[in-house]
Amino acid sequence: MTAVAEPAVSDRTAALAEALRTAIGTERVLTDRTQVRTYECDGLANFKVTPAIVVLAESRQHVVDTVRLCSEAGVPFVARGSGTGLSGGALPSADGVLLVMSRLRSLGPVDADNRQVTVEPGVINLWVTRDAAPFDLAYAPDPSSQLVCSIGGNVAENAGGAHCLKYGFTVNHVLGAEVVLPDGEVVHLGGRAPEHPGYDLLGAFIGSEGTLGVATELTLRLIRVPEAVQTMLVGYHSVEDAAGTVSDIIAAGILPAAVEMMDALAIEAAEAAVSCGYPEGAVAVLVIELDGPQVEVEAQFRQVEEIARRRNAFETRIAADDAERGLMWKGRKSAFAAVGRISPSYFVQDGVIPRTKLPEVLAEMKRMADEKGLRVANVFHAGDGNLHPLVLFDDAVEGQAHEAEELAGDILELCVTSGGSITGEHGVGSEKRMKMAKQFTPADLDTMQLVRCAFDPDGIANPGKVFPTPRLCGERPGVRKGEHPVQAAGLGEVF
Amino acid sequence: MTEITPGSHGQGDAPPPGSPGASPNVGPVRDSVADLPSGAPTGAQRAADEAPAAVVGARRPLDIGQDIDLPAGTGAATVGTPTLLGLPGTRQAVQPAFDEHHPPDPALIGDCVHCGFCLPTCPTYVLWGEEMDSPRGRIYLMKEALEGEPLDDSMVRHFDQCLGCMACVTACPSGVQYDKLIEATRPQIERRYERSRAEKLYRDLIYNLFPYPRRLRALRGPLRAYQASRLGSLLTRSGLIRRLPAPLQAMESLAPKLGPVESVPERTPAVGQRRAVVGLLAGCVQGTFFPDVNAATVRVLAAEGCDVIAPRRQGCCGALPGHGGREEQALDFAKRTIETFERAGVDYVVVNAAGCGSNIKEYGHQLRDEPEWAERAEALARRSRDISEFIVEIGPVAERHPLPMTVAYQDACHLAHAQGIREEPRKLLRGIPGIELKPLVEAELCCGSAGTYNMLQPEPARELGERKAAAVLATGADLMVTANPGCWMQVATTLARMGERMPVAHTVQVLDASIRGVPVEQLLDRALNGPGTALTRPTPAQR
Amino acid sequence: MSAPAVTRRPGGTDDAVGGVVPREVVRPGTVEEVADVLRAAAADGRTVVPVGGRSKLTWAAPPESCDLLLDVTGLDRIVEHVAGDLTVVAEAGVRLGDLQAQLGEAGQLLGLDPPEDGATLGGLVSANASGPRRLRYGTTRDLLIGITVVLADGTLARAGGKVVKNVAGYDLGKLYTGAHGTLGVVVSTTWRLHPVPPARRVVTLDLPDVAAAGPLSIALARSTLTPSAVELSGTAGGPGRLVVLFESIAESVTDQARSAVALLGGGEESDDLPEDFGRRPGGADDVLLRLAHAPAALAAVLAALPAGTPVSAHAATGVAYAAVPAAEAAGALPRLRAAIAEHDGTAVVLRAPDAVRDALDHWGPVGDSLELMRRVKERFDPERRMSPGRFVGGL
Ligand SMILES: Cc1cc2nc3c(=O)[nH]c(=O)nc-3n(C[C@H](O)[C@H](O)[C@H](O)COP(=O)(O)OP(=O)(O)OC[C@H]3O[C@@H](n4cnc5c(N)ncnc54)[C@H](O)[C@@H]3O)c2cc1C
Ligand code: SF4
Ligand code: SF4
Repeated sequence: MTAVAEPAVSDRTAALAEALRTAIGTERVLTDRTQVRTYECDGLANFKVTPAIVVLAESRQHVVDTVRLCSEAGVPFVARGSGTGLSGGALPSADGVLLVMSRLRSLGPVDADNRQVTVEPGVINLWVTRDAAPFDLAYAPDPSSQLVCSIGGNVAENAGGAHCLKYGFTVNHVLGAEVVLPDGEVVHLGGRAPEHPGYDLLGAFIGSEGTLGVATELTLRLIRVPEAVQTMLVGYHSVEDAAGTVSDIIAAGILPAAVEMMDALAIEAAEAAVSCGYPEGAVAVLVIELDGPQVEVEAQFRQVEEIARRRNAFETRIAADDAERGLMWKGRKSAFAAVGRISPSYFVQDGVIPRTKLPEVLAEMKRMADEKGLRVANVFHAGDGNLHPLVLFDDAVEGQAHEAEELAGDILELCVTSGGSITGEHGVGSEKRMKMAKQFTPADLDTMQLVRCAFDPDGIANPGKVFPTPRLCGERPGVRKGEHPVQAAGLGEVF
Repeated sequence: MTEITPGSHGQGDAPPPGSPGASPNVGPVRDSVADLPSGAPTGAQRAADEAPAAVVGARRPLDIGQDIDLPAGTGAATVGTPTLLGLPGTRQAVQPAFDEHHPPDPALIGDCVHCGFCLPTCPTYVLWGEEMDSPRGRIYLMKEALEGEPLDDSMVRHFDQCLGCMACVTACPSGVQYDKLIEATRPQIERRYERSRAEKLYRDLIYNLFPYPRRLRALRGPLRAYQASRLGSLLTRSGLIRRLPAPLQAMESLAPKLGPVESVPERTPAVGQRRAVVGLLAGCVQGTFFPDVNAATVRVLAAEGCDVIAPRRQGCCGALPGHGGREEQALDFAKRTIETFERAGVDYVVVNAAGCGSNIKEYGHQLRDEPEWAERAEALARRSRDISEFIVEIGPVAERHPLPMTVAYQDACHLAHAQGIREEPRKLLRGIPGIELKPLVEAELCCGSAGTYNMLQPEPARELGERKAAAVLATGADLMVTANPGCWMQVATTLARMGERMPVAHTVQVLDASIRGVPVEQLLDRALNGPGTALTRPTPAQR
Repeated sequence: MSAPAVTRRPGGTDDAVGGVVPREVVRPGTVEEVADVLRAAAADGRTVVPVGGRSKLTWAAPPESCDLLLDVTGLDRIVEHVAGDLTVVAEAGVRLGDLQAQLGEAGQLLGLDPPEDGATLGGLVSANASGPRRLRYGTTRDLLIGITVVLADGTLARAGGKVVKNVAGYDLGKLYTGAHGTLGVVVSTTWRLHPVPPARRVVTLDLPDVAAAGPLSIALARSTLTPSAVELSGTAGGPGRLVVLFESIAESVTDQARSAVALLGGGEESDDLPEDFGRRPGGADDVLLRLAHAPAALAAVLAALPAGTPVSAHAATGVAYAAVPAAEAAGALPRLRAAIAEHDGTAVVLRAPDAVRDALDHWGPVGDSLELMRRVKERFDPERRMSPGRFVGGL
C-alpha cells in the first residue's frame, strides 16, 4: 500500500462517527473506549475485538441511516442483539460499527386469529410467549437462552431449542421480515401470508448470521398451546440404553416434543449446581416430553415408559405438576453453566450427527478423549442428534488447553465424517468458519457467496463471518470439478 | 501481559477498506481480559483457523493495574481516545483504576461466563438497553479496570448508575457474586475518583443526613433548610438543584404526617409463653419516617411469643453509606451496631427494613480484615433475620383475624434478591384469612428507590418508579405491601405525582392489624392517609 | 466432454412449455451428465428449461426461449433412506408416488401431498407445490434439509446436509424452492420424514355458504385439536364442504373427531376421505389461481372472488385455489389482487389455457424485494439462460 492511498482507518471512522452523530443523535453513537469495550465480545467471550463505533439504534430510520453512512464510507457494520451468540457472530469489526438492536423492542399486538405477532428485532424471545400466553398461544422456538436472546439474533442464527424436534426451528416460525440491506435500502421479505410470489429470500436470510443485512421487524407465527404436556425423567446404567430408547421411540412412530440426554459428568455438574435430584447412580438420563391432545399424550406416554423399561431404565419419574417439570428441566438447562463446577475450564461444542450414529459416535468420542487423557461431558438434544460435548480441561496443567482445543476440533470433524454438521444451532460465526471447508466444497461455498454478493456486493455486512475465505464479488467462481469431500469419504450420495 | 495473535491487525495491515476482504477483525485477539481465573468464558490462545469452541475459564494470576499493551487494532481504531491513535500496541501508563485495598476479586469476575442471563432483570438495562449499564457490562468494566483502564468519568457513571438491587445475583446461573463485586468497587471510586465539588457536597449532605435519625428528625422543613443554606445556592448554580426536589418533596409529603413519634419501649415482654428473646433494629429512615412499622413489629413479635429488646441510641446499621461506597463510615456504624446488640443479649436480631437486613448479614465479610471484629461481626450476621423470615422460622402462633382485601406484594430488592426472601412474606400474607395476593408484572424489577439512589440518580429512579407504580396500579389491588421504607416512599410519591392514590403498608403492619383485629377499612384508610403514622396511636381497645 | 448415457431428441409440440416448443430435449441419467449438458449449453449460449414429471409444466409464465428442455426424470434413484433417522436422499427425477410407496414399507412418509399425478421431487421443489396436509407437515420449505443443484455454468453445488438440524452456511434449498428452474437445476434432494400415523378419522361438514369456513377454521386453529388438514371445496358465494382430517393413534382420532363435531356444530364422521380430497378446483378451460393470504382472511378472500368461481382451500393455512373461467380471468385478476392486498393476499396463475395465457400477468405485484430478486438471478445466471422469463418480473 502506498503512503497516501487510503485515509487511515481511524480518520475514516472518526469522520463516520461525526456523520452518525449528526444523523441520529450524539447520545446514540458511542466511541468512548471504556464504553465500547463492553461490546468487545458476545457469548463466546474468548474472541474479542473492540469496535470503533457502537450505535444504539432506536428506530428503523436509525438503522437505515447508520447502514447507509457505513455503505458510503465503505466501513463494515455488525448487527448485535443481546450478545448471547456462542460462535462469535456478533464479534465487532475493529474499524467498523457495531449496530446494537437491543433498544428496538416494541412488540405488536398479538393477532390471535391469524396466530401471528409482529415484533422489533431487539424483543427478547421469551417476551413473545409471555404476550401470547393470554391467547393460549406461544412462540415455539425456545433456545435455552430464551429469557435473554433477541428475536433478531434468533433469526440471524436460525436458533433452535429443546422443542424444535417437534416444532422446528426459527426458520419455520418466521413469516416475514423487514430488512435493511447493506446499501441502506429497505425490503420486505415474506409477510403475513404463508407464501409470496418470487424467491424465498426470507428463507435465505434466516440463518445468514447478519451477513445479508439487518432485520428491523419480524412477523412471527404462534402455535396453539397444546392441551396436555407430560414430562418424564429416565435413568440408565448405560449410555447405549439411553440412546437405544431414543431410537425405539422414533421407530415406534412417536414424535416427542423434546428428548434431551445427559451423561454422568453432566448429571454430576447439574446436581452440584441446582440439586435437581436426578436418579442416583445414573450413567445417563433422558428428559422426555410429550405434548398434544390429552388422550394421545397419555397413550404414547405409556408406550414410552414401556420402551424405556425394555431398554433397562432403572428409574422412571413422571412430573406430577409444573414444579416437578420445572425441576427436571432446570437440571438440563443449567447443565451448560454448571459444568464450571466440576472443571476449571471447558469448551462448549455444537455439532450434529444422524441420530442413528449416536452410540458409535459417543464411543468414538470417548476413545478420542481417553487418548488425550481428557474428560468430555455430554448434554444434548438427542432427538435430533444435536450434540453439545463439553470438553473439560484445567488451564493450570501445561498444554491441556491446547489438547482440549484439538479434541473439540476433532469432535467436529467426527460429526462431519459421520454425515452430520459442524453446527446445529450456534452458527458458524467467527469461530467455525475455517471448519466450513470440512463440510462443503469450494464450489458449494462459492455458490453460497453468490447469495452474499447479491445482497451485499461490497461485503460490509458482518464481514469475516461464516465463510473461510471472503470472495470479491467481482470474481467469477471457476467451474469446479472433482469429488465432493463427503463423496471422497465414501459417505455421500455417489451418482 | 497480552500477546497478539499473528493475523490480528493493527491499521497497518488491514485490507483495503470496502473490499469484502476488509475484515481485519476476524483473527481473534488474544486478550488480557481472557486471562481470568476459572469459570470465565475466556480463552486459551488459538489461531483463527482452528478455533473449535467456546472456552470457559483459563487460569492465570492477574496483577492489578499492570500497564497492559492493548491489542493492536483495537486501541488504534477507537475514536474518541486520541492519545491512542496511531500507537498500536503501546500506551502510556495511566493511573490504574483500583488500588490494592480489596479491589473486585478477579476470581469472582472470572465466574461470569458472559451469557447475559442477568440482562433482562437489570433495571438500568431494561431502561436503556446498553451493555455498559447491564450487570454483564459492569462486570466487564471491572475487568477493564483490573487490566489497567483508568477510572474515568464514564466508567464511574456506569457504576454509579447501578442501583445495587442485586436482581442480577438472583438471575445468574453461574453464581456470580455481583453484590461482592460492586461493594468492592464503590469504595474504590470514593477513594480514587475525584468528583466535582458540587457533586461531593451533595453526596456529603446525603450521607451526613440520612444515616442519622436525630438529624433527620430535626429536618422538619427540609426545603426551607437547604434553601437557606450556602449549599442551597451552590446547588442551584451547579444545576444539582434539579435533582433535589424529588426526594425532598418525598420527605415533605411524608413529614407533615409524622406527628408525635411513638418511641418503642426498650423492653416488651412476650405475650404468653416466651419463645425467644429478640433485638429490634430500629433503623434510621425506618425509625424516623415510619415509626409505626417498628411499633407494629414489636407488637407482632410479642404476640408471637418473643421478648423484644429495642436498644436505645441505635444508629444507622451502615447500609446507606455502605451502598454509597463510604466504607469507613459504614464500618463505623457496623461496629456500633454490633456492640449495641452484643450488649443487649438477644437470641436474634430482627430487622424490618430490607436494606438494613441485607447489610447486617454482610457484616462478617465487611469486617473480615479486622481481627478483633471479624468473628463478632460474623456472629451477629448469623443471628440476624428479616421479620418475615423470622416469623416463618419460629412458626406463627398468634391468631389471625380476617382482612378481606386484595394485596399487591412488592418484592423489595434487598429482601428478594439480596436475601433471597420471596416466599416468606407471601406465605405470611396468605396466612391471613381473606387476603388475596395479586401478582405484579415485572415483579423482579427494582422500583428505583434503592437506598439513596433516587436522590443520586433521580431520572432513572423516576422512570422505574413510574413503571412500578403502574404495575402496582394495574393489579387493581386494595393495598400495596412492601418491606422496605425506601420502596414505600418511592411508590407512594410516584403515585402522588401521577395523581393516583393507593394505600401502602409494610408486611408487618398488615400482620399487626390482623392479629389485633383491626377492621380492614381502618387499615386501608390509615395506609392511605397517614403513611407511617396513622396506626401509631394505640387504638382505644389497647388503651 | 462425452456423455454417452444422455439421450437426446428434437423437441415436439408435446414438449411445449407454456406454448414454447423446445429445440431439443435432453435426458441425462446422472448428476454428472446434467453438469455436462449445462456446461455445453453454457459454451454455446443456449437457453435451458429443466422439467420433471411435467405435472406442473403449465405452472408459471411461459419461458422467453427454450433451446434445451432438460428432462431430469432419468435421475430416478432413491439414494439412501435411513429409517432410524427419518431422512431420505433421493434424486430429483424420483416420482413422489414411488418415493411414498417405498417409504411406506418402513412406515414412513414424506409430508407432501400435492394432488398432481406424476410429480417428481425436483418439480415439487421448483414449483413449491403443496397439498392439504401442509397444515400438519408444512411445505417443502419445512421438509427439505439438503439439496444438490447444478448451476447455469455446470457447477455442482450442495447446501444443507443429511441431518435435520443444521445451520452451517446459507440454506440454498430455500432459494430453489419455488424458483421454477430460474437459478439452476435441482438434481438431488434430502428430506425429513414422518411416521405414517396409524389411524385416521374424517369429519365432513356441508356448508350452505363456503364463507362459513372462515370462522370455523379459525375456531379449529385456536382449539387444542390437531387436524392434519382442514380442506374446503365449493364455489364462491355458493355452498361448500369442509373436510377435517385427523391422523394419529386410534384413541386420539376418535376423540378428536368427536370434539370437532361439537366445535363445528355438526358434521359426519367417517374413516374414509372423500375421493376428491385435495383436488384443485375447475377444469382445463379455467385459469387456475393460487391465492395466499393471512390465514384468518379466508372468508374475505372468498368474498373477493367472482360469484360461482370453483374454489378449494387449505383452510387455516392461508392458501386457496380458484378456477376462474378463462374469458373472465384477465379482467378479474387485477380486481381480485387489489381486493385481497390488505390481507397480504396474492394471486398467482398456476395454469392457463393457451388462448389466454399470454394476456395474463402470471405473478402479479411482487413488492419492494423484486430488485433484490433480480440481483440474485444475475448472480446465479448472469446470461439469463435458465428458464428465462418464467418467473416474477420477467426473471
Ligand atoms: C447459555 C446459553 C444457552 C444457549 N442455548 C441456545 C439454544 O438452546 N439454542 C440456540 O439456538 N442457541 C442457543 N444459544 C446461543 C444464542 O443464544 C443464540 O444464537 C441466539 O439466537 C443469539 O441471539 P442474540 O440476540 O444474543 O444475538 P447476538 O449474539 O447479539 O447476535 C447473533 C448474530 O445475529 C446477528 N444479528 C443480531 N441481530 C440482528 C438483526 N436484527 N439483523 C440481522 N442480524 C442480526 C449478529 O450479527 C450475530 O451474527 C445459547 C447461548 C447461551 C449463552
Ligand atoms: S448471568 Fe451471571 S454469568 Fe451470565 S452474564 Fe450475567 S453475571 Fe455473567
Ligand atoms: S445490582 Fe441491579 S442495577 Fe446493578 S447491575 Fe445488578 S441488576 Fe443491574
